Amino acid sequence: MTNIKVLGVMIGTLAVYTWIANAIPQIESAVPEEVSFSADVSPAELVAAGAELYSGGGGCTTCHGLETRAPNLLTDYNGEGTIGQRCGTRVSGQDCKAYLHESMVDPAGYILEGFEPMVFQARVLSGAQIWSLVAFLQDQGGVVTVSGSDVATAAEADAAAPAGGPMVASNDPLEIMRGNLCLGCHMLDGEGAELGPAFDGMGSRIATDRIRTGIIDPALDIAEGFDHLAGSMPPNLGDMLTARQLEVLVDFLAGQGG
Amino acid sequence: MPKISRRGGWSWLQASLPVAIVVAIGLIAIAIEPLAAQGYTPREYGDFPVIGSRAAIWIAAQLHLFFAAFVLGVPMFAVVAEAIGIFSSDDRYDKLAKEFTRLLLVSYSATAIWGAILVFGLITLYPGLWGYLSEIFAPSMWVYVGIFFFESFTLYLYYYGWDRWKKGRAKWGHWGLGILLNLWGTAVMLIANSWLTYMMSPPAEVTPDTAPGMVQFWSAFANATWMPINIHRLIANVVFGGAIVGAYAAYRFLSAKTDEERAHYDWMGYIGNFIAISALIVLPFAGYWLGREIYEFNQQMGTTMMGGFMSWLWVVQAFLIAVLFLAGNYYLWVGMGRIPGAERFMPYTKWMLLVLLIGAAVWATPRNMIADRAEITAMGGQFHPFLGVLGVMSAKNTAVNFMILTTFLSFLLYRRANKKAVVSWEKTGTTIQGALFAVSAAVVLFYGIYGYFVPSIVRIGFSVYQVLAVIAAIILVVVIDVFMMRGAESRGEIRWGEMPERSQYALFILAVTFTWLMGLMGFARSGIRQHWHVFEVIRDTSVDAATPALGYASIVISVCVLIFLSLVTFIFWVGGLAEKPVISGTAGGTTASASADGD
Repeated sequence: MTNIKVLGVMIGTLAVYTWIANAIPQIESAVPEEVSFSADVSPAELVAAGAELYSGGGGCTTCHGLETRAPNLLTDYNGEGTIGQRCGTRVSGQDCKAYLHESMVDPAGYILEGFEPMVFQARVLSGAQIWSLVAFLQDQGGVVTVSGSDVATAAEADAAAPAGGPMVASNDPLEIMRGNLCLGCHMLDGEGAELGPAFDGMGSRIATDRIRTGIIDPALDIAEGFDHLAGSMPPNLGDMLTARQLEVLVDFLAGQGG
Repeated sequence: MPKISRRGGWSWLQASLPVAIVVAIGLIAIAIEPLAAQGYTPREYGDFPVIGSRAAIWIAAQLHLFFAAFVLGVPMFAVVAEAIGIFSSDDRYDKLAKEFTRLLLVSYSATAIWGAILVFGLITLYPGLWGYLSEIFAPSMWVYVGIFFFESFTLYLYYYGWDRWKKGRAKWGHWGLGILLNLWGTAVMLIANSWLTYMMSPPAEVTPDTAPGMVQFWSAFANATWMPINIHRLIANVVFGGAIVGAYAAYRFLSAKTDEERAHYDWMGYIGNFIAISALIVLPFAGYWLGREIYEFNQQMGTTMMGGFMSWLWVVQAFLIAVLFLAGNYYLWVGMGRIPGAERFMPYTKWMLLVLLIGAAVWATPRNMIADRAEITAMGGQFHPFLGVLGVMSAKNTAVNFMILTTFLSFLLYRRANKKAVVSWEKTGTTIQGALFAVSAAVVLFYGIYGYFVPSIVRIGFSVYQVLAVIAAIILVVVIDVFMMRGAESRGEIRWGEMPERSQYALFILAVTFTWLMGLMGFARSGIRQHWHVFEVIRDTSVDAATPALGYASIVISVCVLIFLSLVTFIFWVGGLAEKPVISGTAGGTTASASADGD
């Protein structure tokens, strides 16, 4: 009898747990489908591609998921709804699609009150990828209006002016920093944000070689106390600077004494 | 006696089995190497009939892990029990340690057998992935086999030398063997953990284009989640070992024929539960560290884990942990019935139960509800207007810390139940202990509420203050208690064996729940890689690439737990065949204990 009771308790316990796990919503993590970025791409395909980019390679969640660095786009913000619901009312006379697209290609163009400029380098992505992000964000409570013709136009523009090269032509350190959105995270002489290590006094704290490495390969050596921001700094910054600009920047930062 | 000679011969046969299995695996691995050198390219995936490759590997890996956790957790248990026996000169602990070491021999074989099934499964069903991993980790695989070899022979010496090295310096040497056994076991675990954590968190410089031969060994080995997993598993193994010991004792208690046997296994069940719950109290802290490291490694992975398709998994986990806390506390409260003097604490149990129930409810509240657009609109966002407030980490951390403090209080009351302090400062000491509980609870509550008014980055740091407040209170209260209860008068002997049968079923529920929870956490850890064998490096292109929903996972987990418990029952039965003459000689001493905590 004891054996039967023990068996009953064990199987009963397993049955309860199995039942609970089957009673809750069943969500499978499906394998993302390959999306073609041609002119006949459907809105649904664009949204799917944008969703993957948003939470993956686009690195958007690095800031937008934290609730402090940037407003959360997928949930309500300030009682205005999700991004798809509020994007059409941000700038007078500009519809949702145009607003979202411009926000990405010109991050410093619109800065929401209380937040620093967006650290997002649209040039890392193709035009079609940016449109897929726009479609995904529109889908968050709004209507997707991005079409295949947007994608086709962007692809033609990409082909005409391939991505790459420096963000700014200037060799002035401040211009380089502003143009590459460095001050979106780092503070210098009262300008910028206090998210990453301050540029003020950097030369007295960090060796010149380490500054250079930090720009070229930011994930290699995270500054002490900033572990939680690992991955925030664009990994391709080295590709966005000319050799001269890199050295100008390194020399400038190394010269920032205490 | 014929029984002894039969047992001895059989034991050596079983003892040599794990080594033989590991050597066989090594020979096969060596044989595969020349084929690769000749340009032979293995197929990417194989097929397994009926249940499919994924389920086959899943079951093999899970069962190997269950047994591995058992054979790592029990030696920790044994070596601590032996040490208590040495220091307290209480022979019961020494016999307890030996009893479990004997079970290890059979369990060790089972671990090796399931390990072999897993390796053969990987070679035949996932040859591409196996080839990739073995190219990166080959040196560590050789070391693994070597350590396994040493571990096996240390175990044989530890068990078979128990009676020979029983006195004086030899006993210390024997205890040293126990420590060595634990060191080997831990080293084996650390190596195996590096392989699986590499699949979760490969170094940043490894990309899909990186040839496995170009991956730097140490950076792959000591990857981002390696150490958090090591610590988490180490503690979890102790919990698991204690829970299985408790279930074993419960079964023996229920089927005992004499009062002496019942007393012996009642005491053993208490020790098992004490170890399991004590380690469980620490486990959430290790879990938070692991979670934080996962977030830091890749925020997308962290989001998938906590807010994505796995968000409901944590609701189930919270339910399971609530069962663990409730069953563990229930066992203690029922156990107070056999302790003279415990009746003065009984009125408090209903309040402790209330705290545990509220804590469990808060912990089980999901943060991100999976909702469609209409539901999001109805809620005014992705968070439920009321429940969403309880779903954040501030509330959950506060809840779990209160549950831990309550469980610790249960242990404290149990420990003091039959004691009457004789020190002059008893009243002051008890007041200070009460104040420590109050201050700790106040700190936990303060940061729990304050967390709602600060950014999430700051809030994350608050959990550290809450944890420190609870740990500091536990340590200080225990230190005060130890000094305060020195030379304490006894209010009466603990009536070991006079335990209601229903209490023993709580121990079974604990063991089943721990085992199931391990399976669930295994699914969570592995599932957050989603459609990647090695996260963002080697894509899973098999027919099973999609990560299944929790319902399917729960069925696989339950099957694994059922197989494991069946095999463990068989092992216990085999152990019981050999144990009978020993038990009858040792049980007499178990009724003599005057201490509620058995020390």
